[in-house]
Amino acid sequence: MTEQTTVFLIAVSLMFSILLTTGAVYLRRANKLSREGSLDALLARLVLVDRHKLAQIVADLEGASETEDFDEPYARHPAGDPLEPWQLWELAGGIEGLEAMAANCEVLIDLACYVQEWYPEALPVAEELRLNAREIQWHLGRLRGAQSRGHLQSAFPEYAQRAVATYYGMTQHVLALYEASGVPGWTRLQAAL
Amino acid sequence: MPLSGLNNLFWAAGVLGHIALLIVLFVRRRAVRFPFFTALIFSNVLRSLILYLVRLYGSDRAYLVAYLLCEGVDILLQVSVVYEVAFNTLRPLGRWARDVRHSMFLLVGVSLLVASALTWMAAPDRPIWEFQLVIKAGFFSSTLMSELFLGMAVLSVTSGLPWRTHVARIAHGLGVYSLLDVAIETAKTALGAVQHQELQDALTYGRKAVYLVVLVYWIVTLWRDAPQPRELSEQVREQLRSIQARLAYDLFTLRNGRKP
Repeated sequence: MTEQTTVFLIAVSLMFSILLTTGAVYLRRANKLSREGSLDALLARLVLVDRHKLAQIVADLEGASETEDFDEPYARHPAGDPLEPWQLWELAGGIEGLEAMAANCEVLIDLACYVQEWYPEALPVAEELRLNAREIQWHLGRLRGAQSRGHLQSAFPEYAQRAVATYYGMTQHVLALYEASGVPGWTRLQAAL
Repeated sequence: MPLSGLNNLFWAAGVLGHIALLIVLFVRRRAVRFPFFTALIFSNVLRSLILYLVRLYGSDRAYLVAYLLCEGVDILLQVSVVYEVAFNTLRPLGRWARDVRHSMFLLVGVSLLVASALTWMAAPDRPIWEFQLVIKAGFFSSTLMSELFLGMAVLSVTSGLPWRTHVARIAHGLGVYSLLDVAIETAKTALGAVQHQELQDALTYGRKAVYLVVLVYWIVTLWRDAPQPRELSEQVREQLRSIQARLAYDLFTLRNGRKP
């Protein structure tokens, strides 16, 4: 066997390993989705996040936007004082809270796909959720970077508040989808989210 | 040039299988939805007939030219089938899913690069350059197809796009066959043409047998009806559209702190 053939064999073996591993992961995920395809199984994967606390953060952000003073990062909320960074940290549950939300994003997408299985018209909702999930991952990535550089405290309000707003919007989106499509389980879903 | 009995058997089974599949495609009206796949199957029937006649009555040179031309058409049609599968899978509502478009471009780019690199590395043990070209062309096409079909399957599953329809059956068949073809062609390249002729022939027959199994799979699955999706009422559809627009607006406002 020539040297060129040996290199070729190694390269093809490498490609095969990558393809087969990817195929195995894809099959595992596909099987997992069909096995855990029931709504209860999907809801069981949700990590508990206090939606009332998230609503407070979103209300604070909404208040800031309503002042129309966009250059002021912590504009006064019309109904009270804007949230302090430490309050944001507590309400969001810190980095762990955001990690939980990022994990829940996967479940939210699967929940939309669950509806999409019967109603392909639900596809744009799942698509929007995937884009939102990527955005949350982006914010989380920035926070992780800030954490490693020791700037987490200053970076947290900016990225966390937007991540929470996006996550909150996603949960409302999924609830609205279930309500509109009439797929059973809206009440359970509302309780879980 | 005489053909062996086993070769004749595979040839006849292949032609019959392709004709049966064509009948299924037209009778069950799948040909309208999958024109490139239908063209690929039709070209395979033509290819079998042309190559058989050239092999019987033509010279080795004429056979090689005919084979190369058929191989070129086959590669072009296979690439068209990849587009057809992507077209049917990744744009279920009549437009490309936004978040998979970039991944699809990336997949095509990386697959082309890897297939080209591996084909360049391949050194088939054939003294005539035309034969090397034939083997390399086949290897390139199989590598590209296996990468693209597997990549698309992964993309559709991770994106939650429907993957239980006829288009998935076409992709599964071509993907599995291409993957096995890469393995067989690699083994043949490693073995060398001269030293292990019997083993080389056995591998070729193995590849043909796998293809016949894939043909039967297509005939059965494309004959059957795909699961029908349920349809939302127009009122609910309108409600969903307005919910989506409202939430997009809300999120934009929340995230940017200003009205769009």
